[in-house]
Amino acid sequence: MSLLSDVLVILLNGLQQGAIYVLLAVGLSIIVGTLKFVNFAHGALYLVGTYAGLFVALNVPLSNGKLAEWGFSSFGLDIGFFAALIFVPLFVFGVGLLMERYLARAFYDRPDTDQILVTFGLAIVVQELFRVLFGSNSLPFEQPERILSFGSFAGLPVSGPIALPIVGNFPQWRLWVIGITAVLVALVYLLVEYTDFGLVVRAGTRDAEMVRLLGIKITRPYIVVFGIGAALAGVAGVVGGPLNVVNPTIGTNILVPAFLTVVIGGVGSIAGAVLGGIVFGLTTAALVSFAPAWSQVGLYAIAAIVLLTRPQGLLGDEEVTP
Amino acid sequence: MSEKDANPSAKDALVGGTLFGRWEKLRGREGTVVGITAILVAVFPYLFARAPVVSGFLQGYQSLATLILIWGIFAIGFDLLLGYTGLLSFGHAAFWGGAAYAAGIVAKNVSGDPIVMVVSGTLFAVLLAWVLGFLSLRRGGIYFSILTLAFAQMFYYMAASPLAFLTNGENGLTGVEVGSFLGVIHLEADVPSIGGMLLGTWLYAFVGVFFVGAVAVAYRILNSPYGMVFRAIRENEQRAEFVGLNVWRYKLMAFIISGGFAGVAGSLFTIHGAYVPLQSLFWTESGDIVVMTVLGGAGSMFGPVLGVGLYLYIENIVSTIQALTIPFTGIVLVRDFGFYWHLLLGVVFVVVVWVVPDGLWGILNRLRELAVDLGSKAAKRLRARSENGGGGQ
Repeated sequence: MSLLSDVLVILLNGLQQGAIYVLLAVGLSIIVGTLKFVNFAHGALYLVGTYAGLFVALNVPLSNGKLAEWGFSSFGLDIGFFAALIFVPLFVFGVGLLMERYLARAFYDRPDTDQILVTFGLAIVVQELFRVLFGSNSLPFEQPERILSFGSFAGLPVSGPIALPIVGNFPQWRLWVIGITAVLVALVYLLVEYTDFGLVVRAGTRDAEMVRLLGIKITRPYIVVFGIGAALAGVAGVVGGPLNVVNPTIGTNILVPAFLTVVIGGVGSIAGAVLGGIVFGLTTAALVSFAPAWSQVGLYAIAAIVLLTRPQGLLGDEEVTP
Repeated sequence: MSEKDANPSAKDALVGGTLFGRWEKLRGREGTVVGITAILVAVFPYLFARAPVVSGFLQGYQSLATLILIWGIFAIGFDLLLGYTGLLSFGHAAFWGGAAYAAGIVAKNVSGDPIVMVVSGTLFAVLLAWVLGFLSLRRGGIYFSILTLAFAQMFYYMAASPLAFLTNGENGLTGVEVGSFLGVIHLEADVPSIGGMLLGTWLYAFVGVFFVGAVAVAYRILNSPYGMVFRAIRENEQRAEFVGLNVWRYKLMAFIISGGFAGVAGSLFTIHGAYVPLQSLFWTESGDIVVMTVLGGAGSMFGPVLGVGLYLYIENIVSTIQALTIPFTGIVLVRDFGFYWHLLLGVVFVVVVWVVPDGLWGILNRLRELAVDLGSKAAKRLRARSENGGGGQ
C-alpha cells in the first residue's frame, strides 16, 4: 500500500459517504430554497425509504415489534434490489406529495419555528411508528449480489470487491452508490436549470408572489418539488441502507448531518449541496483513517467554522436565503 | 356619599365580586406567585407519592417528583429563550449535559458537596452559553437553530471519544459520590416529622429550594423592563432595533440566562442520579426540552413546567401500563398501552403545535377566562335580580 493508494481509498470512501449526504441535502435544499419550508422530517423520509427498500428488495425475518407479535414472521416482497430502486423513490415521492398537501401547505404562512416544531414532531411520530411495528433492534439489509437478473440473464454483479488501478480491491457497491448519486443529482440539476418547470421553480424561489401575479399556478410546481426532494431521500435510504445499520433511529441520526450539508453548501443551491456533501464525506473519511476518535467531531467543527466565516454557505446566495 | 352609591358595592361583596377582584389584583404579584409555588412544591410529593387516594390513582413516586422539578427548572429557563425571546435553540443539551458532566467531574475530583457541584456546573454552563451564544447568534431564524444543534452535537461527540478520559465515554460518568449538604445532611435521608410526610427526602427539599428560586428569578426578570425587551424582540426584532435597543446584546443575555437555568438543572440531575449518561448531551435531549416546553405552553411562566410533568409522567408511569381498560369494566381497549407512550407523545405534540400553539397552559387559560366570563355574567344577573327585588319592595 502506497501513500497514493491510501489517499485514493480515502477519496473513494469519502465520496461514497458524501453521496448519501448529497442525496439528502439536494432534496432538502430544493425544498428549503424553493418552498421556504424547513423540514425536520426529512430524516423520516430517509427512514421510510430504507424500510421500503428492505421490503421490496428482500424478505427479512422479524423477531421484534408488533408486526412479529401479530403473526408476521417475515417482511418483504423479495423481488430484487433494482425493483427497490425503481419503486421506492416512486412511493416516497407519493409520501412527499401527501406531506406537502396536508402538512407543509398549512405551515407556509406560519413562522419558521412552527415549521421546525411540527416537522420535528412528525419525525418523532414516524420513528416511533417504525419502532412499534418493527422493534428497536437493527434489521439486516444485505448488499445486493446482482441487480437486473431476469430468467436466464444473470444480471450485473454489484457486490464484492472490484480491482481498480493503483487502489487495488475496492468494494464495488460503494462505487455504485457514487454512480447512482451522480446520475440522479445531474438529472435534478438539469430539471431545475434547463426546463420550463425548473424556470418556474427558480422564479418562485426569487419571488413567489410575482410568479403568481403572472398567472402561473405555483402550487403545482411546489408540490412536485417537495415530491422530488422526498424521492431523493427515499433513494438515499435504499442505497445507504446496506451500508449502515437499519433501525428506527437512523432517520433522526442522519437529519443533523444532512441539514448541516445544506447549510454549509448554501440553502437552495444544488451545487452547494453537492460540495457540502463531498466536504463532509471526505473529512469524515480522512478523520476515520487518521484520528478515529475525532471522526464525528470534525464534521460539526467544519460546519461551525464555515457558518461563522461564510454565513450564507460556501456557494450560497445571500439574497435567496430565508 | 349617598346611600345609593354605597349600596352596589356592598352587594358586590355579597356575591363575591370584590373578593374575586382582590384575588385578581394579588394574582400578578411576585410574592403571591412565589408563595403559591412554594406551597405547591411542598405538597406536590405528598399528593403525588403518598396521599391516600390521589397517589394510588396517580401511581407516582418520590424520585419522579424530584425529577419533574429538575426538568421544570430547565424548562423555565428554556422558555425564557423560546417563549419570551422567540429563539428556538436545538442545542440546550450542551448546557444541561455539560453542567451535569462538570458537576460530576468536580464531585469526583474536587468536592462532592452539593452546593459546590451546583455552582461549578452552573458556572460551566454559563460560560459555555456565553461562547456558543456569541457564535450562534450571528445568524437568526433557522440558522440559529441549526448552529446551536451543530455545536451541541460537537460536544456530544467530543464527550463520546476524544474526551473519554474525563467523561468515561459511552458508559457515562459513573461513580459520582454526592457528599452531604453542609457536611451534616445526607440528601438521600428523609426529612424528619411532618416535613418528611410532605417533602420526603432532603434531596427533594434541596431541589425544591432551587425550583422556587428559579421561579422567583424568572418572574423578576420577565416583569422587569429587561424582560419587556425580550418580549419586544420576540414581537418585532426590527422595531426593537429602531427604538434604539441593542437587540443582539439582549438576545445574548437571554441565551446566557437560559443556559444558566439549564446548568442549575443539569447539576441537580447529577446529584439526583449520581450518574451522568452520555445521552444527556445528545440532540434528542434538546428535542425533549423543546417538546416539553411547547407541549405545556411556550410563552407562559408555568406552562412549560406543566409540559415537563406531563412528559415525564407519560414517560415513566403511563409507559408501564399494561392494558388500557375502561374503568370498572375490565374491557380492554388497547393491549400493551404503555408500549406506545412515545408515539402517543409525538402525536399529541404535533396536534398541539398545529392547533393550539400556546399549549396546554393556553387551553387552561382559555377555560379560566371562560369561567370568569360566565361568573361575572352570573354575578351581573344576580345583581340585576336583587335590584329588581329591591325596587319591588
